[in-house]
Amino acid sequence: MLLAPHLAGQGRADARLAGRVPASLAAAVTALLDSAALRGLPGAPLVDKTLEGVAKGAPTDRILVAVRTVFHQLDAVATVLAETGNTGADAVEAGSFAMSAGLATSDIGEIARTADRAHPAATALLVAGTLAALGVPRAETVALVRATIRSGRPVGDLVSLPGQVQAAMAGGSPPAAAAAGLARAAEAHLAPGPRGKGRGQGNPHKP
Amino acid sequence: MSREFHPLVKQLLDGERTLYSLPPELQAEAQEAVRLLGAMDRRDVTFSSGLEARVMQEVRQHSTARRVRANTDPVLWRWLTAPSVPPWVVGAVSAASVIALILVRPGPTNDPEAIAQATAVAPESVFVKFILFAPAAKQVTLAGTFNRWEPGTTPLVRVSDEGVWTVTLGLPVGQHQYAFVVDGQRWVVDPAAPTVDDGFGRKNSVVSVSLEQGRVM
Repeated sequence: MLLAPHLAGQGRADARLAGRVPASLAAAVTALLDSAALRGLPGAPLVDKTLEGVAKGAPTDRILVAVRTVFHQLDAVATVLAETGNTGADAVEAGSFAMSAGLATSDIGEIARTADRAHPAATALLVAGTLAALGVPRAETVALVRATIRSGRPVGDLVSLPGQVQAAMAGGSPPAAAAAGLARAAEAHLAPGPRGKGRGQGNPHKP
Repeated sequence: MSREFHPLVKQLLDGERTLYSLPPELQAEAQEAVRLLGAMDRRDVTFSSGLEARVMQEVRQHSTARRVRANTDPVLWRWLTAPSVPPWVVGAVSAASVIALILVRPGPTNDPEAIAQATAVAPESVFVKFILFAPAAKQVTLAGTFNRWEPGTTPLVRVSDEGVWTVTLGLPVGQHQYAFVVDGQRWVVDPAAPTVDDGFGRKNSVVSVSLEQGRVM
């Protein structure tokens, strides 16, 4: 019998739980994995959170709460990403990470809508999540990622943002100020077009 | 903009003296210099295009992880595992740091122990060096999403008498969460890395790896 790819993946996930997780917890997580598979959500983050909880000696009920939280994050992100035409598991996982770092689903949607072929949503969300994890507030995080993408700069510039923020922080700048400064620099990179529009709006890579 | 540091601070930056050997009036200047250096060391490191081939050739010819521990002469592995910043920098800046080394596609090798974990990584990976300053520790390991949170599978190697522990892993693209485990009991975040709540009342450190230019965020 052939299994759909996502179901085959869930089978591997179940194997990862074997021998490391109490039976009752494994059963509960397996049920969540089944639900995730039905919804087309990646199961690996659920398994990871389960194993992490066990490794850290957390109580079973707390592990289950944490795993359910990840499940709901994945579900919420997948919903908002689907509205923007992004359905890849990597984007969903990156969005879930960004949520765990403090971004809201509205932020995820805004970033995903700004993403383009040259700046994939998964990469943009990874960057945004990392910025948020560094302590950059939501508004500044979204503004910085959007400004960088719209400026039409190479994706390498987008990926370098957390490092630039960290360098500024090492120099004594608060995360919000560091991000705001970089966003201003990106906006300044926007060259005025024929109708006064920024170059990023005319990004040739935009599908 | 450049700044001229005191000659003794320059000696510190050259690794010729320790932070604590400096007079009190230079401590602030020295700490600032160390902080700036720490920030610089977190930036991406790029190498010439021919380096990958040379590295893999060296891997095949030389090093094994065991030889490193025996302190024989595994040039490449010592290069990979040696702290990119002197021990005093690590100790003065923070307890730990993550440093991107190089984008490498792990190639075939006859020596499976040559690069810890690297042979099991995805084809497109970035080598990341993890560093912990833990002078009193008897054992340090790394647990994270990349090793199924198994604390015993990824030990760090003590590379200096001062208590600097390191390990280099090849990580696939994506975000990875991790923590150091000291003496099998104490979970320690990386203060030099971003953190997120772990859902269990603690924090996880985060390293995000992008394929673009082999970057670690």
